[in-house]
Amino acid sequence: MIDFYHVTKRFDRYSVALHDVNFHADKGEFVFLTGPSGAGKSTILKLILRQLVPSEGQIVVNGRNLSTLKRAQLPTFRREIGMVFQDFKLIERMTVFENLSFVMTVLRVPPRDHKKKAYAVLRAVNLHHRLNAYPPQLSGGEQQRVAIARALINDPFLIIADEPTGNLDPDLSADVMQIFIEANLRGSTVLLATHDRELIRRTGRRVVYLEKGRVGEERQQQQAELPESPGTFMQWGSL
Amino acid sequence: MTAEAGERPLGVFGYFVHEALRRLWVYKRTSMVAIGMIAIALLTLGTFLLVSENLNHAVDRWQGQSQLTVFLVREATPAQIEGVRTFLAGEPSFSKFTYVSREAAYAKFRKHFTQLAPVLDDLDQNPFPPSFEVQLTKVNVNDPKFTKLLGRLRAVGGIDDVQLDWQWVSRLRRIAGVLSLVGLVAGGILAVAAAFTISNVIRLTMFLYREEIDIMRLVGATEATIRGPFLLEGVFQGMCGGLLAVGLLFGLFHGVHALGAGPASALLWEFLFSEFLPWPKLLALVGGGVAAGLFGSWISVREAREEKAG
Repeated sequence: MIDFYHVTKRFDRYSVALHDVNFHADKGEFVFLTGPSGAGKSTILKLILRQLVPSEGQIVVNGRNLSTLKRAQLPTFRREIGMVFQDFKLIERMTVFENLSFVMTVLRVPPRDHKKKAYAVLRAVNLHHRLNAYPPQLSGGEQQRVAIARALINDPFLIIADEPTGNLDPDLSADVMQIFIEANLRGSTVLLATHDRELIRRTGRRVVYLEKGRVGEERQQQQAELPESPGTFMQWGSL
Repeated sequence: MTAEAGERPLGVFGYFVHEALRRLWVYKRTSMVAIGMIAIALLTLGTFLLVSENLNHAVDRWQGQSQLTVFLVREATPAQIEGVRTFLAGEPSFSKFTYVSREAAYAKFRKHFTQLAPVLDDLDQNPFPPSFEVQLTKVNVNDPKFTKLLGRLRAVGGIDDVQLDWQWVSRLRRIAGVLSLVGLVAGGILAVAAAFTISNVIRLTMFLYREEIDIMRLVGATEATIRGPFLLEGVFQGMCGGLLAVGLLFGLFHGVHALGAGPASALLWEFLFSEFLPWPKLLALVGGGVAAGLFGSWISVREAREEKAG
């Protein structure tokens, strides 16, 4: 599903964001990327989305080598990925429905299907009653759920989240994590960057630990204190 | 933007149109500057075209009334005169002709130039040759076919000279041509300036919408989908500028007519502003605005490719 082969990313001669990173995530896996600020978590996500290209090495996502991906193929590739940001990146002048419909328009979803799909995905994040609200009228947790709904609208095979709970209190973080886990159970691979160790501990999924642009192999397994089991998220979700 | 939950969501083209119109409205002040620039450029071009068009019309009208004078040799025989008459009658370019005998020419001169009559009295004989005054149909005097016809006429027996008052026609045509060219150059320069104004307006709008553009890219929007509303915004600005220019030109045309109602200037106004521009030229003006708008917005959007660090 996701393979990093000896990936190095330099921004300039003195600034190396990633150094010889090898990393693999299976289809349907839920993987945490963690590490201190500046470790290279966001760089990995940007490389997967091909917002950045590696200075060295190869990245293969869902069988596609990103080094050979042409610019014209990029939109099609990205449509299969759902992206969630720490700052939600919702368009404030649009209602919740419009934020979703806007994405469906650019994804060329037939207009007649917009309402049905928006309602279904908002129902999945329990926000179907806020269809006509504007983002500033929503709480942080609600806004992030809308952002997740937007990421889920096209049934992505891969969901990438960059510090999705970074702006949320623990209770709201629980709600948000619940949605990611459910999406993962429905078959989407989830790659979630966070420095929240408590979140990782409670969720109990595989952890890739980054430090100074390198993958700390030994700590990957130690990070997850809870076993990987479907029951974990249920327990977490009920908290 | 898409639509309210209760409204019908938009397809891609509907989204383009809706977004372009919405941005025009939201940034109406900057849009008005761009529209005004386009309007000024096209009004300049349109004014020159209007004057040039009317000059050409005047030339066409008066050319139809042009006269050709065929002077015969003084000793032309009745057979030669009849030969010329037959030639003139057989050519459709000559709508009407009148034979002016030597005596009739003498009398006509005396009548029109009474002060010169004593000069004629001092002469021993009638100095005027017989002639034919020929009215032309609407012909292009610069047409090689017409020049050939004149050559054949000159070769008819008994003809001394053929005089045609076409020099002023050629001169007016040249003036009209120069006016069109000046208009095109001035309008073109202003249109390029206007296109760059539109380009800057679109660049500013794109800057203000950079977050939305980023989101669109990340969710997999094609560059065409991202750029479409901005291109269309430029097209709308150009079209509005073109329509405004046509409206102003129409106002100018009628204003000039109202101002030029006095008898002193009536002839001049009649000469320069007798008819408004025809539909194809008006459409071309609006089309020019659209082209300038599209060019301006295209300059901005082609620069706005996704940055790829490293």
